[in-house]
This record gives sequence, C-alpha cells and structure tokens, in this order.
Amino acid sequence: MVNTAEPRRTSALAGHYTPGKSGLLGADGMAEVVLRDVQGLTLWQVAAWPDSMDSVARAIAGTAGTQAAPGPCNAVAGKKGSLLRIDPLKWWLFGVQAPEMAPDTGVSLDISHSRTHVRITGDSAAVFLNRFLPLDLRAHAFPEGSVASSSIHHVGVTLWHSDAGYELFVPRGFALAIWEGLVEVAGQFGLEIL
Amino acid sequence: MRARRLESGGRIDRRKPVSFTWDGRNLTGYHGDSLASALLSNQVSVLGRSFKYHRPRGIMSAGVEESGAIVTVGEGSGKEPNVKATVQELYEGLTAWGQNAWPNVRYDIGVLNSLMGRFFSAGFYYKTFMGPRWLRGTGFWMLCEKFIRRAAGMGTASRQPDPDCYDHAHGFCDLLVVGAGPAGLVAATVAARAGLDVLLIEQDCEPGGDILNQAGESEKQRLRLISRAEDAGVRIMLRTTAFGLYDYGTAGLLERVTDHLPNSSPHMPRQRFWTVRARYTILATGAIERQIAFGNNDRPGVMNVSAGRAYLNRYGVLPGEKIVVATNNDSAYEAAVELAHAGAAVSVLEARTVVSEQVMKLLGENGISLRTCSAPLKVCGMQEVKGLDITTLSPGGSVRDGFEKCDLVLVSGGWSPVINLASHRGVKPVWNAQLACFLAPQMDEPIAIAGAAAGIWNTGDCMTSGHSVGARAARELGCSVRQRVAPKPGGWDAPIFPLYEVGGNGGQAKSMVDPQHDVTTDDVRLAHREGFVSVEHLKRYTTLGMATDGGKMGNVIGLALMAEALGREIPEVGTTTFRPPYTPVAIGALAGRNTDGHFRPLRRTPMHDWNLQHGATMTMAGLWHRPWYFARESENLAQAYVREAETTRKSAGLCDVTSLGKIAIQGPDATEFLNRVYTNPFARLPIGKARYGIMLRDDGIVMDDGTTWRLAETEYFMTTTTAHAAKVMVWLEELLQTRWQNLKVHVTTVSEQWAGCAVAGPRSRDVLIACVDDPDVMTNENLPFMGVIETSLKGGISCRIARISFSGEMAYEVYVPSDYGPDMMDLFWQEAGSLQGCLYGLEALGALRIEKGHVTGAELDGRVTIEDAGLGKMASPNKAYIGSVLRKRPDLLREDRPRLVGIRPRDRSLTFNAGSILCKENAVSGLGEGWITAVTHSPALGHWIGLGFINGGYEAWQERTVVASDPVRKGDVEVEIISPHMYDPDGERMHG
Repeated sequence: MVNTAEPRRTSALAGHYTPGKSGLLGADGMAEVVLRDVQGLTLWQVAAWPDSMDSVARAIAGTAGTQAAPGPCNAVAGKKGSLLRIDPLKWWLFGVQAPEMAPDTGVSLDISHSRTHVRITGDSAAVFLNRFLPLDLRAHAFPEGSVASSSIHHVGVTLWHSDAGYELFVPRGFALAIWEGLVEVAGQFGLEIL
Repeated sequence: MRARRLESGGRIDRRKPVSFTWDGRNLTGYHGDSLASALLSNQVSVLGRSFKYHRPRGIMSAGVEESGAIVTVGEGSGKEPNVKATVQELYEGLTAWGQNAWPNVRYDIGVLNSLMGRFFSAGFYYKTFMGPRWLRGTGFWMLCEKFIRRAAGMGTASRQPDPDCYDHAHGFCDLLVVGAGPAGLVAATVAARAGLDVLLIEQDCEPGGDILNQAGESEKQRLRLISRAEDAGVRIMLRTTAFGLYDYGTAGLLERVTDHLPNSSPHMPRQRFWTVRARYTILATGAIERQIAFGNNDRPGVMNVSAGRAYLNRYGVLPGEKIVVATNNDSAYEAAVELAHAGAAVSVLEARTVVSEQVMKLLGENGISLRTCSAPLKVCGMQEVKGLDITTLSPGGSVRDGFEKCDLVLVSGGWSPVINLASHRGVKPVWNAQLACFLAPQMDEPIAIAGAAAGIWNTGDCMTSGHSVGARAARELGCSVRQRVAPKPGGWDAPIFPLYEVGGNGGQAKSMVDPQHDVTTDDVRLAHREGFVSVEHLKRYTTLGMATDGGKMGNVIGLALMAEALGREIPEVGTTTFRPPYTPVAIGALAGRNTDGHFRPLRRTPMHDWNLQHGATMTMAGLWHRPWYFARESENLAQAYVREAETTRKSAGLCDVTSLGKIAIQGPDATEFLNRVYTNPFARLPIGKARYGIMLRDDGIVMDDGTTWRLAETEYFMTTTTAHAAKVMVWLEELLQTRWQNLKVHVTTVSEQWAGCAVAGPRSRDVLIACVDDPDVMTNENLPFMGVIETSLKGGISCRIARISFSGEMAYEVYVPSDYGPDMMDLFWQEAGSLQGCLYGLEALGALRIEKGHVTGAELDGRVTIEDAGLGKMASPNKAYIGSVLRKRPDLLREDRPRLVGIRPRDRSLTFNAGSILCKENAVSGLGEGWITAVTHSPALGHWIGLGFINGGYEAWQERTVVASDPVRKGDVEVEIISPHMYDPDGERMHG
C-alpha cells in the first residue's frame, strides 16, 4: 500500500544555494540576472500514439485547464497547470498530475524528481542564457510560450519562456554542476539569487 | 629609423599619458596608441628576432598581418607570446618583451645562426634527419631537438595555469557584416534601415576601417557613417574578429573583452568566443598591402606604405625623417604627400615607366622627388635602415645603379583583398591580372563581398559597393529596398605594374617572402629545383604561410615566384586554401568555462553530499562521482574495501547504486518489445517480478546486461549498467523509430528520477523490515528472490524494491524519487549501523561481484559473445531477437574462443594485475592465450582472485599452470584457471 503523504524533498542544490546579490551590480544595486531554484516541481510526461494524439490532447488540456494542447515548441498555461510540447508525441504537464488513461490511448510518467527547475529573470536574462544555449532567444524568435530542448555543456536541458521568466529544467544529477556555471557567468551581469 | 611623435595630429589623447614597460625599460605613450606606435614614438626600432636566422625585426605594418613586431605581453601566468604589437592597445602598466632572443632583441647571441644560414634552407629537417644514413633515427633527433627548439621559435608560453577566464556565447542576426570600414558601415546601415536585425563586427577598437588612417576631413565622414548605422539600429561589436566562416551562416568570432584594460573585474572574461548564426553575411573585410621581395626587405625600418600613413595620421608619429617610398601602384602617393607635409624628406621609386600628370604635379608641389622604372634592390643597415641600393628595372636583370640615404623604406607591392572567410567556405579565389590580386567569385551561399575585399580601391566606391551589397542582402531576405549598381573592381588612374621580386638570383642579401618563418625567395626557387610543383607541397616544404599570419604577407609573392620558376601564369599555379582561424585564437577561448572542475559536467547522485558526510572517498565512474570506499580512522583503500566486503557478507551493507541506468518502458506492446530486445524470454514475466536480461548488438556481440522489472501489464522498469545507460537508451529509441514503428511503446530515461540503494547481506531483510511502513511486504513469500514490490518507507517515502543481488548475498535494490534519497539513506543507515553493518563503495562492490563471477563493462567490452561470458543458456532457441542470427556465425561458436574464467595465484600469497596477459607456461609471448579483466583480494577466500578470458575456457585449462604476464608493470605470476563462480556457486546465500 502506497503512502500518499508528501514527505520532505531535498533539492539538488541544497547546501550549495546562497541567496543574495553578487557580481557587477548596477549603480543602483540592481542585478541584471536573477536566478531562483524553484522547488517542489510537479512534472508529468504524457505520451500519445500516432492515432491517439487528439484524444490525449483533449484529456491533458482538460487536466491543465487550457483550451487546447499546444503544438510543437510551444507551451500554454491553464488554470490548473501548464502544458509543454516537448516531443512529436509527448507533452509535459507542469504543476499538475497527469490524468488516468488507457494504455491504448497513451501513457503517463511522473518525472517530478528528474529535473531541477531554475527560473531566470532580469533585464539580461536572454543574453545571459545565450552564454550557454545555442537558441535564438530574440523576442520575436522565442516569445512567451516557447519551449525548446537544448544543451548546456553537453547536458540536455529544456527551456520554457513562461510569463514568469525563463524556466530551465536541468537533469537533477547535473543540476549542481550547471548551477555553478550559471552563477559564475552571471557575475558579469550582476547576479541576484532569490 | 628616426621616428618621432608629432606635436599634434592623430587620434591619440595627449592629455592621457600611459606608462608601460618594454624589455624592462619604462616608457610612455598615450591613450589611443597601439604598442607598436608607442614603441615607434620612443625610437624603439628592433622589436623581435626572426624565427630561424635571428635577424633583427621591426614594425612592418599597422595591422593583423604584422610579421616583425611580434612580442610577448605580460608576465608570469599572464604571459602571452606572439602578440602583434601593431594591434595590441596600449594600457597603463602594460609589460612587453621582445622574444626569441638572448640576452635581448637588440643584442642577440642567436644571430650566429645566420652565419649557418645556408644550411637552414627549405627542407632542413628532412634533409638532416631523414637524409644521410648515419643521421637517421630518433636518437640523433632527440639529441638535437632541445638545441633546435631553443634556437628557433616564436616566444614561450607560460608554464603556469592561465589565470583568466573565457566565455562562450551564441548570437543570432539577420545579417552579419564583417568589417566596419566605409563599405561595412554603409552596408549595415542600408540593411538595418530596410528592417533587418544587423550585427556589425570590427576587429579594431574603433569603427571606420581605413578612414581611421586618413587625414583631413575624413573624421567627419567617419562619425557620420557611424551615427547613421547606430540610428538605423545596427548592433556594433568592436574588438571582435570573425576568425572562421562555417556551414549555414555560422561564423566564429573572438571578442577581446578585457585585453585592452589594465585592471578588469574578476567577473569579466578576458575573451569571448562567439558562435553567430546569420541568415546572410557580408564580408567587408578590406585589403592588405603587399610587400615586394628585395635584399634585406625585413630590416627594421622597412614597412608598408599604408602602415607609414597609419602611424602618421592615426597615432601622430612621423615614422622617419628621410623616407623612400617604393611602389608599383597609385595607392602610395597620398601617403607620400602626407608624410612630406608632416616634415619628412620623401622620395618615390616608381616601378612603372610613367605616372599621371596629376601625380607629377602633386609630387612637385610637395617637394617629392620621383624616379620611375625603379625599385629597391637592397637595404643597407643591420638594426636600422641606413640607406637603399636602387635599381632600374629592365628585362636584362637588376643591377645596382643608385643609392639613397634614408631611415625608412615604405613599400607598396599592391593589395590583396581579405577573402580568407570566403575561402573558408570552399570557394576558389580567382586571379585578377589587371589588379594583380585574388578575388572571391560569386558564391552560392547567402554571402556577399563589399568594398576593398571585392577589389575596390577608392573610399567613395567602397561606400557605393557597401550600399549595393547591403541592399542586395535586404532584398534577398525579403525586404523592399532600391539597390544601386555595384562599382567594378579597381579604381586607380593607372594600372598596377605586377612586381613581386627585385634582384632575383644571386643576391647576397636575404630576400624575404614570409618574414615570420624566414622563408626567402631562394627557398622557393630551391623547392622548385628539388621538384616541387604544387603550391600545397611548396607550402609544406618551405613552411611558407604557415606562421601566425597565415600567409597574409607572403603567399602571393611565393605563388608568383613559383609561377615564374615553372614558366606559367599565376592562375595556372593556383593558390593555397585559407583555413580558419583568420587570426590566432587562444586555446583558453576555445575551452571557455569548461576547465578544471568543469572540464566535464560532474554528475552527482542525490546522496552525493550524504556519502561525503559519511566518510566517502569518491571516484569517477563516467561523469558520475561514486563512493569508492568509506575509510574508517587510519584505514587505507585496501583495508577499507576488505572490511566493507566482509561486513556485507556477515551483516548488511548499503551501497549507492543511483548511477545505474533506468529506463521506463511503457505501452501495450512493451512485452513484445522486450522479448525482441533481450536474448531470454520476457513474454511470460509476471507482474511483480524482475528478470536478468542480456541484450546483443546486431552482430551477435553482447551489448549490455541488467534487470527489468514488470510493474504492470504494460509497464516495465529496466536497469542497465552505469557505463551503457545512454547507449542502451539510444539503442531502444532507435529500434522503435526505425525498425518497429508499429509497436506502441514509449521509452523514457528515468535515471534522474530515481535514487537507488543496494541493501545487501544476510541482515538486509532486517534492515528493510525496520524501514518500510508495512513490514509484511518483506516476507519471503511476498518478496521472493527476483520479486518486485511498490511500497513506502517510513515517513511516507514511496519506493520500489526488487530482491536482486549483485553481491551474491540476500540483497535488495531500493529506489525512491530522487529528492528523497538522503532521507532514505538516513533511514537505512540508522538500522544497518545498529546491526554492525556498513556503507560500501565501488571497490568492495567489485570484490563481491568478482567472487561471484558476475560480469560488468570490464568483461562486456564489445568483443564478447553470450557464450564467451558463460551465459549461453540465456540465449533462447525458441524466439528471434536482436543478434539472434549473427551470433550463430561459425567463428562466434568456436569452442576455443576466449571464455570467462576465474583466476587465482598458484602461490596464494601472490597477486597479479588486471590487464595481464594469460600465457602458456614457458610460452610467454605475443598475445598469449587470454587476458585478465578484473582482480581483487577475496575476503571470503582469503587470497587474490581475478576474472578474465582464456581460449577454450576453464575446461581447457584445469590442472594446468598458466602465467599471468605483465611485462610493463609487475612481471610474471603463475596462476590457476578455475570456474568464475568462486564463491557460493549454487547461490544458496542469495536465495536465502
């Protein structure tokens, strides 16, 4: 019998995460890059079959509270959660558990502990991210609601431009190594860790 | 050379003096100076010594093509050799040194090399070290190498770690314009006004290109061009060089972020390595003025005409008092006039027979003497120019028929458009005989060339060219803009007279083609006499164009001389291919931040810090850091792992096994999929059971092994070895996407989702009973050997437990969601510790598995069949699976193939090494009969043991003595071949 109470979660950055400001801050003490380890990630992968795309899309849109499931490289935010299209046959459900579905329709997988979620904001967030990511992050090329798979130092990552900023999902085992790199490079922009 | 700083003029700021050090001397320049201009103004004429002959060298240019003023900047760990003083911006406290000289560049003992010059000609190494029989071989080379390397060279890098950091960055734009001269500025402005996102890069610290070197009203024009570009929204990056152009509009840029600053923040990188992707690229890279080869044309005081003009107009330095300007084209006259205006006595040697009346008038008005049909023959003077032997050009050869006393010789042998980046794209430059230069042809890619890079010589025409090309780029990218007619290449009143060498054969003085590598005109001719006809071979034999300037100064001259020697025209001889980088790129910039601890991304398990807090010494396992051993006070590695293995067999041991690969396999056809992938049957694996499986490659060789757990009717949890986790994942995905698209199966790596701990030993069940919410799930009936259960640990931590064993003991693998990993370890360790259990690392894990004869990546090395590994019974004869056909090839079924065996020393007190070769007694040679893959001290058996492979396996070698030969490290040890299952062969302990 599985106990459903949520026990304490330990972030991959625990013990190495120091909130505060550092680096080349502006004259007004402002940091142009702001990083935050967003804890308590709830992330489910939902995969459809080629002949069940529509029914899976309807099911997950209902779960997330969106009008429809997004197309490739896009995300939509709903009342209950967000949907990210990360693969031709796969979505990520962010912030909400996946719905039950028959195996002939699709399959779901809890991957909430597989990624460390880092939010990047600030005036230079996009320029800063381009120190690592070979993605065109110019406003017209990667507007809010965009999603891309890419890599930082050969580690596969997922970037989502949400209304809160850039949401970076890093494989948990590599999270601290990538975080150290982010912090080091962010110093030149003035860094604040929330 | 009597250079001096002028009272006014130039772009330097005389209100801001800058102190710097040259060869230990304190000198002063001004803000806006280059190191070269500052040294010139301080009458420093000798800045370096040449590569082979240690000839004194001074400033030859004012740009990246510099081949004389190559110096070392900085000290200690910040020392950087081979810096071109002509492009190094002066900053307060800069320290620079001459290089390749002792005791210094002015009095260099190495100049004695020049006395042996005739022996150091082209092919010296080949002739000396591969020539006479008695000199051949490594020994003589090793003897000579240290002396040669000390005598020849181009500066010495620091042996200390680089203290600077370097960035990598990615950029995107619609249009990339390389070069912010007049053509580049106009092209960028036109395109930006049409609505494109334009990135304009410039290697100099200021935009303007050649306008920066011009006098008079040109500054106003420059400021106007910049202002228009900025107003149009052009993004301008200065101190940035496009060093390479690659596929699909990708350019490699190097931005020198802090190289010009005396003190910079530790947060700022020294340089930034950019990868820029553009939809369209315009090359407005300008042109480089060529030299002419004549006697001693490398002496300090011989430089390009354009350089003389740059030092005068940009830096306010009159580079000489009495100047001879030698030219074969119109471009030199403006400089001659400006230098005369500044107070120098100027005379012109013109290779052509006549010049225009306009030029004659200009020269006359400024008191400049002109001698036509003439050229420089030989420079007189050693460390500075004292005079010039002059010749009248005639078909019959060049003889000295004049001498002019002077302190500076300015030479213009024509111009070479900078088409290096176009050449990087694989296009072949085309020789333009009228302009005596190579031009890039029309390109199939969205790349265009503007300005002097397209052979357009006048500033006005360059701007028109920029306008035309910028508009063309905009139109091709879908913008509506009027395009002007591009001017044709050229622009001089009178055509150039092609002149590459004066003097020819027989001159006593060396006539340099490639000054950086001391390649002379005689070297080129020698190469021809020795049978070289291909330019590519010529280049490699003489090292022409292979120095840090990449042939910018000498390639065309070398090519012309080769063509003359072959009796052909230049186009028939061809050209060398320019390759990246255009200018040198520091290794540090290539590495970026990926150095030291971040050389590879470190992969940590969720229990990484927990393990460290509990005394783990870590080791690398691929990218993972895993516990190697947990030493107690005063224990070494050997003592620790033996204790850990013993304790595990007696009580209970805990081991972090998170690094094992984990793959979720889901879908209605998951069972069928696994049945095709694994050699053994999976069709009837019950829910709640795990099975050990072997997967083969297509060729029948073992790829990986692991366990797969059936969690539900359509859901499996596969584990793989740590080493092959990614490989197996990619393999499964490839199978689904390319071969079995009809199967409804999704595979997803969940290696990061689950933290794993092996709980092994006779008390392992007791540990888990105390840690799970419901102890009943741990009974033998509910969780038998190879059973799987999903339950929860105390505290509500959901978990998956499988009763599987790698150690040979009763054991479990427990997986929890990764964020709960540390709490799981706290729970287990509290119980295991109370039972006198232990934590164990990779070393003990290895000892336990070797005792049992379990294989890992050390054995499954890509050469081993399932039979070789002793697992032939797992190959089902009743189904098809990947590798099932090719594993039956006759050679893979030979009985005498190397088979997995156990190994122990005949004298039990001895040890042997992994990697040793197994040989017959008295036949220790060659590849032997097999090899050893893994060794350990066996705590259970009390002596050294190993695993390995030997031809024919255990049956062929029982009762026979075998020698474990390790010629490199240890020598020979007599060993016995035994069954690989050296401990509890029937598995009684494991099954409990």
